[in-house]
Amino acid sequence: MAQIELTKLRKEFSTEDEYIVAVEDMDLQIEDGEFLVFVGPSGCGKTTTLRCIAGLETATDGQITFDDVDVTDQRARDRDVAMVFQNYALYPHLSVEDNIGFPLRISTKLSTEEIDERVIETAELLGIEELLKQKPKELSGGQQQRVALGRAIIRDPEVFLMDEPLSNLDAKLRSDMRTELQELQQQLDVTTVYVTHDQTEAMAMGDRIAIMDDGMLQQVGTADDVYRQPTNEFVAGFIGSPNINLFTAEVEGETLRGPAGFTYSLDDPSMVEGRERVRVGIRPEDLYVASDGSVPSEINVVEHMGNENFLYAEMGDVELTVRSGSQIRPEENSTVIFGFDEEDLYLFDATTKESIKTKTGETALEHEQFEQAQQ
Amino acid sequence: MATSIRSELQSSESYQELSDRLRFLRQNVSSVVPKIPGLPYLYISPFYLLFSVFLLFPTLYTIYLSVFSYEGPAGSEYIVSIQAWIFELTIPKISNLEFVGLAHYESLIFSDSVFHLSLFNTGFIFLIQVPLMVILALAVAIVLDSKFIRAKGLWRTLIALPVATGMVAYSTVFLLLFEGDVGMINQVLMSVGLDAVPWLTDRWMARITLVIAITWRWMGYNMIILLAGLQTIPQQLYEAAEIDGATMWQKFRFVTVPQLRPVLLFVIVSSTIGTFKLFAEPFVITGGGPANATLTVVQYIYRQAFVQLNLGYASAVTVCLVVIVSAISIVQVRRGGAAQ
Repeated sequence: MAQIELTKLRKEFSTEDEYIVAVEDMDLQIEDGEFLVFVGPSGCGKTTTLRCIAGLETATDGQITFDDVDVTDQRARDRDVAMVFQNYALYPHLSVEDNIGFPLRISTKLSTEEIDERVIETAELLGIEELLKQKPKELSGGQQQRVALGRAIIRDPEVFLMDEPLSNLDAKLRSDMRTELQELQQQLDVTTVYVTHDQTEAMAMGDRIAIMDDGMLQQVGTADDVYRQPTNEFVAGFIGSPNINLFTAEVEGETLRGPAGFTYSLDDPSMVEGRERVRVGIRPEDLYVASDGSVPSEINVVEHMGNENFLYAEMGDVELTVRSGSQIRPEENSTVIFGFDEEDLYLFDATTKESIKTKTGETALEHEQFEQAQQ
Repeated sequence: MATSIRSELQSSESYQELSDRLRFLRQNVSSVVPKIPGLPYLYISPFYLLFSVFLLFPTLYTIYLSVFSYEGPAGSEYIVSIQAWIFELTIPKISNLEFVGLAHYESLIFSDSVFHLSLFNTGFIFLIQVPLMVILALAVAIVLDSKFIRAKGLWRTLIALPVATGMVAYSTVFLLLFEGDVGMINQVLMSVGLDAVPWLTDRWMARITLVIAITWRWMGYNMIILLAGLQTIPQQLYEAAEIDGATMWQKFRFVTVPQLRPVLLFVIVSSTIGTFKLFAEPFVITGGGPANATLTVVQYIYRQAFVQLNLGYASAVTVCLVVIVSAISIVQVRRGGAAQ
């Protein structure tokens, strides 16, 4: 177990005619035993950051410490990290048993007997003891995934690194493995850094989530933090499913005027004072049908999910998504007016995209329950 | 430039119309023309015809010849002659032969000391040259595959260039380099105060000279094959090994070698066969000498067949050589493929 600290981490890649900054000015502290998830669109630098922590890439600038020991210039094999790769990277010519035992055979002085014992223990933990004699190519994706995990955990490493380990699995297996990984991490209590492009996975698994875009760390926080208090429009747009509805509105005194007749009077106009326009964000779950609402829209598609409905609508040229109760079934092509509460409203600066106002209210579901309780 | 013109041309309307009309025409033709049974066999027949005439027949005839003694050309005798109306089919006898059974095999296995010597010479060159060349080729391939080498393409071409030289041409160059006191190598050695080496006149040195020549010629070729093999090894396996704590040597031992195994096997088997077929180099550079010390099996076959005209005996030696090479190759494939 270890506490990881990244200080002013920078990684550049340069080829003959290109020069790319993959990670820029990254400051981050990962606590001992924490499960931290890096999330972001592809090319945002999350995998590069992970590889820097692993020692597979050398940092261009900055410092990486494990428990206050500077490891920036150490080779991967000296860092005592274990890694699970996206495509597992199992040794194809070795049996499952030898794959899992490989790190011990290479880097410890344990006897073959002790290694075999540890391999069996690990295999039992992962439920793959009947596969030990097989070769990787004879296994399914999920089984290979477990073998890769086994090879990582057998060493009892200081740090556990995972690079999109679930992305090659089908949806059902992915959610099963998600839970299993979390249980395993809690059981082993090893500092874990996990990379994914899937925000649902990030929200579900991480103790904290680090959101990256374009080589820069955007925000680090718990799932609740990044959902409710995003630091900027990018984070608000990336986190949450379905995506947040975003559009530009003109500021006229205390009134916001948006596309297709969107008008909303702010209770507290001080936050938009001196601004000509702002970016407005409303989560799909915070919109509700209200005849006196301020979001007029035309319904395009209604998706019935059983427990809830997704309404896809248009407000002028802005596409809106509304998450509603299953009892709300508007006709397609009909016009519906939606409302929202000011405490659920997000506002962002039109140019810097920094947040001006974030969510202060309860979640929509709680809101409904609250209202029902009041009646 | 050329591609932009081409893409512009291909996007023009008249081009598309024309290509569409061609496509419709082709589709119409293929739907009208009746299916001719067995047509595919006609298409692949040239190979089988050439194979039969130039490979299958000579191979079988060699085995046939090995139990006969050649007594000279056949003259006007024939094996079969069929006359039907105005057609006449005659298969002439190729040569005048006398059946000797397994006598050739008996003498070459039990009493032919020159054959035994040629087998020893070939075996010696094989045992030194193949491991030396494969190790060297692998080492060069690994260096060229590494990140820190610049101008890889240039190095690769330079190192592989010898394979493009003609057998006799390069052998002649080696002869000039290593010939007695006038050869360049000895000139250089003597100019720095060293003794001249009897490259071609000492039995062992002559064999080593051949090893050097063949290694020079074939190392680059095998290096290219091994380099191609190295490039197919997924980088992530090396990364996984690095994370697992492997040193450079352990990565080579546990990732490179097992991953390269099929390619290495191909290189070793094809080099083995090549060494046993060695002919042009000893023929030109050493002439088989001194005292038959570099006489290879194929050179011996050549002498028997075309100098002394013992075609039957030469065929028997050929059959023996094929059996030996096959046996060695089978062992290599069995051992090399076992772990797969």
